Amino acid sequence: MGLRSYIITRILLTIPTLLLLLSMVFLIMRVLPGDPVALHFEKKATPEQMESMRRALGMDEPLWTQYIEYLGGLVDIGYILEHGYPNLGKSMQTFEEVGGQIFSAFPATLELAFYSMIIASVIGILLGVISSKSYNSILDHLIRGVGTVTYAVPIFFLGIVFQLIFGVYLRWLPTGLRINPAVDAPATITGLYTVDSLLQGNLFKFFESSKALLLPSLTLGIILSGMFIRMTRTNMLETLRLDFVTAAKARGLKESTVTYGYALRNAFLPILTVMGLQFAILLGGAILTETTFSWPGLGRYIVDRINFRDYTAIQGAVVLFGLFVTFVSLVVDILYAYLDPRIRL
Amino acid sequence: MTKVKIKRSILARLIPGVTSLTRKGPSGWMVILGTIIVSALVIMTVIAPWIAPYDPTKTSVGPIREPPSPQFPMGTTHLGQDMLSRILCGGSIMLQVSALSVLVCFLIGVPLGLFSSYVGGSFDKACSLVIDAVYAFPGLVIAIAISAMLGRGVVNMALSIAVVYIPSYFRVVRSQVLSIKELTYVEAARGIGAKWHAILFRYVFPNVIPSIVVVATINFADAILTAAGLTFIGLGVEIHIPDWGRDLTSGWEYLSSGAWWIITFPGLMVILLALGFTLIGEGLSELLNPKLQR
Amino acid sequence: MMEKIELSIVVLVLIGIIVSSGTMYYMTTVVSNVSEMKSDTSVLVESVTNLTSTVRDLATITGLIAETVGEYEEMMAALEAKLAAIEKMLAEKEKEVLIVGTTDSVEKTLDPAQAYDYFGWCILQQISGTLVSVKPGSETGADFVPNLAVSWNASDDLDVWDFTLRQGITFPDGTEFNATHVKYSLDRAIDLIPTIPEGAPAGLGYDAIINRTEVLDTYEVRFHLNNPFSPFLGILSCRASAIVNPAYAPIEEVEYQPGDPRDSTPVAFVGPYYLSKWERVAGRDIEIRLDRNPYYWNVTSEYPKTKTIIFRFYSKASTLRLAVEAGDVDMAFRHISSADVLDLEDDLDVEVWWGTGAFIQYLCFQERRAPFNDTRVRVAVTAALNRTAVCETVFLGLSDPLYSIIPPGMLGHTEAFQKLGDANYTLTTSLLAAAGYDANNKLEFDLWYESSGHYPMSAEQALIYKEALEDSGVITVTLRSADWAGYKQNRDDEIMDAYIYGWYPDYVDPDNYAFLYWAKWIHTNYYNETINGLPNPSYPAYLQQVVLYDEARATTNTTLREILYAQIDDIAVEQCSVVPIYVSTAWAVTGTNIYGIYLDITQDMRYWLIHIGE
Repeated sequence: MGLRSYIITRILLTIPTLLLLLSMVFLIMRVLPGDPVALHFEKKATPEQMESMRRALGMDEPLWTQYIEYLGGLVDIGYILEHGYPNLGKSMQTFEEVGGQIFSAFPATLELAFYSMIIASVIGILLGVISSKSYNSILDHLIRGVGTVTYAVPIFFLGIVFQLIFGVYLRWLPTGLRINPAVDAPATITGLYTVDSLLQGNLFKFFESSKALLLPSLTLGIILSGMFIRMTRTNMLETLRLDFVTAAKARGLKESTVTYGYALRNAFLPILTVMGLQFAILLGGAILTETTFSWPGLGRYIVDRINFRDYTAIQGAVVLFGLFVTFVSLVVDILYAYLDPRIRL
Repeated sequence: MTKVKIKRSILARLIPGVTSLTRKGPSGWMVILGTIIVSALVIMTVIAPWIAPYDPTKTSVGPIREPPSPQFPMGTTHLGQDMLSRILCGGSIMLQVSALSVLVCFLIGVPLGLFSSYVGGSFDKACSLVIDAVYAFPGLVIAIAISAMLGRGVVNMALSIAVVYIPSYFRVVRSQVLSIKELTYVEAARGIGAKWHAILFRYVFPNVIPSIVVVATINFADAILTAAGLTFIGLGVEIHIPDWGRDLTSGWEYLSSGAWWIITFPGLMVILLALGFTLIGEGLSELLNPKLQR
Repeated sequence: MMEKIELSIVVLVLIGIIVSSGTMYYMTTVVSNVSEMKSDTSVLVESVTNLTSTVRDLATITGLIAETVGEYEEMMAALEAKLAAIEKMLAEKEKEVLIVGTTDSVEKTLDPAQAYDYFGWCILQQISGTLVSVKPGSETGADFVPNLAVSWNASDDLDVWDFTLRQGITFPDGTEFNATHVKYSLDRAIDLIPTIPEGAPAGLGYDAIINRTEVLDTYEVRFHLNNPFSPFLGILSCRASAIVNPAYAPIEEVEYQPGDPRDSTPVAFVGPYYLSKWERVAGRDIEIRLDRNPYYWNVTSEYPKTKTIIFRFYSKASTLRLAVEAGDVDMAFRHISSADVLDLEDDLDVEVWWGTGAFIQYLCFQERRAPFNDTRVRVAVTAALNRTAVCETVFLGLSDPLYSIIPPGMLGHTEAFQKLGDANYTLTTSLLAAAGYDANNKLEFDLWYESSGHYPMSAEQALIYKEALEDSGVITVTLRSADWAGYKQNRDDEIMDAYIYGWYPDYVDPDNYAFLYWAKWIHTNYYNETINGLPNPSYPAYLQQVVLYDEARATTNTTLREILYAQIDDIAVEQCSVVPIYVSTAWAVTGTNIYGIYLDITQDMRYWLIHIGE
């Protein structure tokens, strides 16, 4: 099949996946013990009060109706045009619009994920290539060791160690939040503090937000780089043995051209898939990293809301997560198909 | 004839002989090192009740948050418990949880993957769809939900972790089976009229075992880290059970007062345990990867 | 063997890292000097960007060492002079801004008909007015001072209360505050109870207490109560009774949105501050800013003392502690952990203030089934508790053992439960022996604690209780836990054998504590006439306590009330249905130049009394 039909098929396949995801979230939330209605009443509540709250939260209707309403809200275009975000219901705890809450929290996670991914891939690929070129040397073993150990470190432990060294003992870097509370956050354009402060030419805020961003993204980046190191190394080793590499060297091409132009480009494909997978891991790791660094992103939002059994908020956040993961794997698959025609067959 | 050939090939690839492992180069050493680490930690956990200097749960055996000293070589916790005893006894929860979750994953993911990919068609597509949806779900959220539903405890933690990793087994098995399905001798078996379950279990499955073993060891390492993560979020076991993850979490509050020993030692132990399994998995995957064999 | 290209890349990257981290470190040290000044003047930002660009210029010319060293030093001297001048100017402004650090967040809105969370009430208190307030520094919580009312009078039956209001208070639009606004506010609070069932008026039972509000004259208002109710002043001093501005508080709904800092707040301009900024992201506060209210009735006496209050929100107690130490915030009230505050006591740059606490925790027994349907078993377990161990080990001495459900300082506090003692194993063993338990047949039960941080150090507390109870030699305790939502569900489903709960006062009166012994929403079943079809042996005791309780709230005679509450305590000791364990201390940490901190039994921080000195 051609590229176009492959893309269309893949996109169509994501729809049932997302629907399944949505339904799973919906059901799982409602099976959890603990009543969001009861959580509004710290001390005492009469049955009438509980009923009234149940109505306010929309929980007095049968499950089916709630489900249909929820799905309907998601595709309400008018709402999206009016508010800039989809109708995900109202938070069961604060009664604020969940869509608004999620979209204000998402850029934080995105910023963290973006920088972590950059760090992970740059460190990972570079070290992987170096390691594969010097197969079986001390350097190779060292780098492999690093790659293996980083995989075995719990994310939050690394984060805590960094906090301890750089935040408590040296006091160089903040141990949490996106920017020192003593400094006003840059005005929102993209929601990414580093980008926004640069766009406004405010170097002070750029430095302050970078300082806060450094530890969390370094933590996530280092942990993820392990996978990149090993994948790159393995793939490069395989590729470097192939005939066309020997042929290229025999033709007298420079080492660097051979390594980067020929070998890496061919080894890169599986690495790309891994990048896609890593993104899913990243979003999961974001929950832990955000908790460790008090990063006000989507991960921490979910953890907070679970305590309140805030069904609508959790549904919305999980759907967004799932959407993102699906989207990324879709993009990776399409890219892979574009670059490697064999897949489309 | 075929049976003998296959058995030897499994043995030849899976168990080259312990001594010959060392001749296999760095990968062999990785497997050996990993096995030593894991066995050491398992033995330590098993004999811990006999060698621990103090009862790991008993509070106020020493001053509160005391730094490492001759009497308490790893310091004391914020409740005055001896860290060394807690370190010795603290691995059991992690080992139990990860072992149980790997078992569950294996028992569900592997048969499902085998069956689904062998049968193919719409059943396979449906299964993949469901598995993909589970895969897209942030794992920690599932784990939190299951923990909230079932309560705390080793079994519940293991179940929540297992649910998250079943998709990995499924996918690995499936991709292997898809390629093995087309191999000539499998086709030949079909040609002579072997029943599907015979083909599946006598021809396909043995070839999948090496990759499953690798995934299982990586899964072990991941399960340990996820168990630690779950405890960090607050879903670990009850407080009176010594657990490395629990100490990591409660020690976090005391960083600002400089009590580094409460989190450092448990953290190092978790890393060590996860590292052990990772080494085994890494080493095995290199040993069994035919493309790398010179 | 590495290729040249990798080598050079690595070396370049290393150099780049070293240079940029060095530059950044230098810039941050210089920049952090500037950021010490807590104000958002644009001059500051301008000079900093000048600074960073100047420093960047400097970095590029460090290659030419000889000549540029001299220029470099000159430029640095000029920069230092500039910085010093800015510092001096901002230091003067500093005294007008107080920065408060917290880890809390307003839960929903700041409408008195809905807000029922601690932090919501905290902000409300700074921006609103009630008829009466508790005197700052009060130890009993019963000394009331005029706020929007100047004098008051209660009938002998304590069911008709008259208030004379303060005159001359105007809203920004020129309207004068009078009795109609009081009636409007209280009527609205009561009318909204059906639609806002989770609000404070609903929770405090305003509809059960107040029958109607009557405007007698422009500045005279009368409350008719359903029953004699001596703690009525306490009710009127809490935030649910804040006076709202009818122009901004519709009677049929709560319009105030989370994060919306409309300076025309629903609470009338009769508080010391008004809300000028309220930023919220994803359901949590990012910044709240309060500015001096020029229409405040007490503004002539120079209240509020500080012109602007800015709340900065942290998410972890340990980060907040670091911020206090670094001077990023001027003060923090609550949310500093026991370990941290004890460390800060030794810090010369930080001052620690101590005060009376009113947060208590207590142990509840489920009487619906064995073993706690037997009074002897309940008393035995109570006697085995070791309150001192909890206070010393878990709270590092920053909480005190509590032997009455009413905390110290308040009217009616006794030491009743001391009768059973702490770790009184002889009593425990003898009582349990009578009930059929001994060392070979130990009493077994589940002790539940809350695991999501709703109460402080729940898990650690539970461990200490378990140890103390098991040290008796005749008890085996299994610890179980659930997060707050699950815990509440379990409480309502009555599946927990013994569980730990906590209480924070709505208003400071023993009336708001004593009922905890038999509160129906704790679900102990102590108050039921029959249990499983059989008569409940505790029922007569419960009835007695209720009679004493109603009598105590119908009189203002303190001696009589004391006797009545003491009797309630004595009955509670015999029944051991709900057992008080500890009461926490209160503390605040501030810089050494902060004055006016009152840590009294109300647990309120009155920010308008705080001022920054030398």
